[in-house]
Amino acid sequence: MKISPQDVLHALATVKDPDLNRDIVTLGFIKDLEVTDSRVSFTLQLTTPACPVKDQMAAQAKQAVEALGVRDVQVRLTSQVTAAHGPQLELIPQVKNTVAVASGKGGVGKSTVAANLAVALERAGARVGLMDTDVYGPSIPSLMGSNNQPRVVEGKIEPPVEYGIKIISMGYFLPKDEAVIWRGPMLHKAMQQFLGEVRWGELDYLIMDLPPGTGDIQLSLSQTIPLTGAVIVSTPQDLALAVAAKAITMFEKLRVPILGLIENMSYYRCPKCGHREDIFGHGGARAAARKLGYPFLGEIPLDPAIRVQSDGGKPVAMDETTPYGKAFREVAGALAAEISKVNAQAPMNIRLE
Amino acid sequence: MPAFPTTIKLAGAENAVTIEWSDGHLSPYAYGYLRSKCPCATCAENGPPSEPGTSPFPILGRRPLKPERAELVGRYALQIYWSDGHSTGIYTFDFLRDLCPCPECAAQRAAAATG
Repeated sequence: MKISPQDVLHALATVKDPDLNRDIVTLGFIKDLEVTDSRVSFTLQLTTPACPVKDQMAAQAKQAVEALGVRDVQVRLTSQVTAAHGPQLELIPQVKNTVAVASGKGGVGKSTVAANLAVALERAGARVGLMDTDVYGPSIPSLMGSNNQPRVVEGKIEPPVEYGIKIISMGYFLPKDEAVIWRGPMLHKAMQQFLGEVRWGELDYLIMDLPPGTGDIQLSLSQTIPLTGAVIVSTPQDLALAVAAKAITMFEKLRVPILGLIENMSYYRCPKCGHREDIFGHGGARAAARKLGYPFLGEIPLDPAIRVQSDGGKPVAMDETTPYGKAFREVAGALAAEISKVNAQAPMNIRLE
Repeated sequence: MPAFPTTIKLAGAENAVTIEWSDGHLSPYAYGYLRSKCPCATCAENGPPSEPGTSPFPILGRRPLKPERAELVGRYALQIYWSDGHSTGIYTFDFLRDLCPCPECAAQRAAAATG
């Protein structure tokens, strides 16, 4: 029996992307389709290299074609990260997505989560930048073990690269123990420079570590660029979640999509006896996400190793065999999937004339 | 998702800014009306300028009020640079939609106010 490319596409159209909820042919994921008598090969181009179900989709696609009676089916997996649609991206035209990692309260591990999400996305194969917008308490250089300094090349700042990630932070520009004592307008200027004066180059994801709360920096960022979305980090206890809800309200008012909630310090497992202790309670962020109608991206356990490695400048997401490394990889995958969804859903394109 | 503007024309009609919304609605805002609704802190505190478009230096004569230019603010608002030199108002899309002066929206507002 002779098989035509149409037959193959027809078979492939039975495979759905579970996140975008459409079939992979309609989504335009199938590229370079080649059909010969006994052999079918094609490229499956996903919307993110961190796609949590990429192997599952590739297997389903292969099976669908094999069901036509083709014995030799070759599936190549690639990805092309979709860009957030939005106005006013002149500042960073080569950055496809900007993600704010925010929280209501301080001390919930926002910077640790931001740094490890960046690492997990980079390890999945994405081009990633990490911008530390916490001007008062910059902690990204230390979390990423960065001893390099930004250099000024042809009037622009060349960001240091650690673990394959381009990084900028106020921490680079201040002597240790020196403090930034600024009011709003200076912060606004700093944010604009971090975006416009830094040579970010082409990035799939620019992860922004925000200071806690709903103040000048959050507002400046949301005004300066159309953020792809915001991720809210919280610990499980009621008080932290109550304040996290305020951060969510702020982003809703600024029409920044909420990509989801992450529960940090979710539980503690004793390394000696394996007993699990829910120090701050457990599941609060998942429940809050359900109540507010936003995605829950996952939970990160509390583990002394995260503290030790963070202080040592070695992000735990580098090792995916540990429970916390695996947790970060899964959360990063869920985040990347949500970004693809937002980009597919709401192409906000405003013509101003 | 609430409606967002798809096209904003600063000179969409005679002396009016027009906004086409994602739900197909069309809003025409006369310049004087929009200027008088400026949401910035100064205007909110002191009230809108009594005579929009009046130059602070009358010797220069009156210039007609119009938007010189405008910028989008993040994903949520429009900042208008008026010919009278004022530009601090950030008109959020929600606010603009609430301001829509078309007869249909005006009737809805009147009904909400009395109901």
